[in-house]
Amino acid sequence: MRPQFLRSSEKKKLVEEIKEAYGIEELPFLLLEVGKQKIRAYSGNLSKDEITQLAHIVRVETMGLYILSKRDGPARINFDALPILKDQITKNIVKINEEQLNSWIRGNDLEIEAQEGFVVLQYQEDLVGTGKSTGNKILNYIPKERQIKSQTQKTIYNSNN
Amino acid sequence: MEPEQKAYKYEMKPLFKERMQSLLPDKEDFDNFEKIVHTGPQSFIRCNTLKISTKELLTKLQKKWKVIQPFPKHPEIMLITQDLGPGELGNALEHLLGYYYVQEVSSMMSAIALEPKPDELILDLCASPGSKTTQIAAKMENKGTIIANDLKIDRIKILSSNLERCGVTNTIITRQDAIGLCAKLSKSEFKFDKILLDAPCSGEGTLRSSPKTFIMWNPKVIEKFSRQQKKFIAFALKCLKKGGTLVYSTCTHSPEEDESVIDFAVKNFPVKIESFTLPLKCRPGITAWKNDSFHKEVQKSCRIYPHDNDSEGFFVCKMTLMEEIK
Repeated sequence: MRPQFLRSSEKKKLVEEIKEAYGIEELPFLLLEVGKQKIRAYSGNLSKDEITQLAHIVRVETMGLYILSKRDGPARINFDALPILKDQITKNIVKINEEQLNSWIRGNDLEIEAQEGFVVLQYQEDLVGTGKSTGNKILNYIPKERQIKSQTQKTIYNSNN
Repeated sequence: MEPEQKAYKYEMKPLFKERMQSLLPDKEDFDNFEKIVHTGPQSFIRCNTLKISTKELLTKLQKKWKVIQPFPKHPEIMLITQDLGPGELGNALEHLLGYYYVQEVSSMMSAIALEPKPDELILDLCASPGSKTTQIAAKMENKGTIIANDLKIDRIKILSSNLERCGVTNTIITRQDAIGLCAKLSKSEFKFDKILLDAPCSGEGTLRSSPKTFIMWNPKVIEKFSRQQKKFIAFALKCLKKGGTLVYSTCTHSPEEDESVIDFAVKNFPVKIESFTLPLKCRPGITAWKNDSFHKEVQKSCRIYPHDNDSEGFFVCKMTLMEEIK
């Protein structure tokens, strides 16, 4: 991987976009763009020059955390980045109930009316994914390999109350 | 009349049994070892403090499971004390969200011995699947930098997936053989505050979670690993700063892969073996095995036996580099 760091103007534009969409005001990370318009965030203490130097010496596969995708138009927050951005997310949150959660984590779309565009789903105090609202349906974006497949899960959630 | 020997599903190979009896010469001690390695492991998890506090996670989990924190100084280590269904730990919402990592308690010991601090530069040389990398990242509060390396692309994918799930942002993943990586880094300006060398090994300590080890065990493999581990530690030490720390660990009991490697390091490099404390019972490293005798400092190593802690088996040693190696 050859690190392609976002320029400050690109970062500023991205932050404006996610502020508008989710209320997020800052991304205190070094941001990189990798294949398929994925934005990764690195919070470590190596400088851009040091990272570039490292990538010349050894084979860097990846770095930091995949936090945003720009592939489908407006920036979508990646599932795994939700907890680290949780405190800043104030807009486009859709609260779901336990039955909807059980369906959602298995990769199903939800029949929920919401404003069109990307939304963040919340179950109790947890942010449990991002989806694309078509107005009357929220399309599921949980990565396939992370979706829960086992039927036993239903029991696990039911016993959670 | 001899008491009837209990038949187990898997039996120790005679040479393995003989070696373990040499390490545990007291009959009752060995019998306790033999008994416990034929039982399944306990259900330990580690709270991922990058995403949730230990208090919050405990509250959530106690609504569905009996959960305790067995080590007051390490509240992130949690033990589920009830029987769980197959895959239940890995299928819970809290696991999906990366709030915890399913990790056997003995394997948490190397990162505890390493004592990672925010702002340090740390090399995790054989990092996949990422249990220790994510543990180190949590201790570093996603600050500093971890370079997490492994050799094969399929292992890198698993490592990457676990780092993503746990929300790790301070790590750079590299793919290279450990010796090649260290050779390149040692010639560069990158010198590390700390290195974790959790070396590939024969896995004698994983009998409880991986009973196939009973069948796979092979003395030739031990010799092969021992040679490789000595090369790894020799090259890894060249990447350390003066005063830097290297933690060497394996999940095996074989002295060829444990004390012999430490003995090799002490006798060939300017290192000082450190004493350290862990929340599990440790037995000191041994100073003689077969026809070999080891440096007495090797005793500061920690042997973790399954029957001492109701855990898997493990070996940990911590050392300081006294002079930078050119």
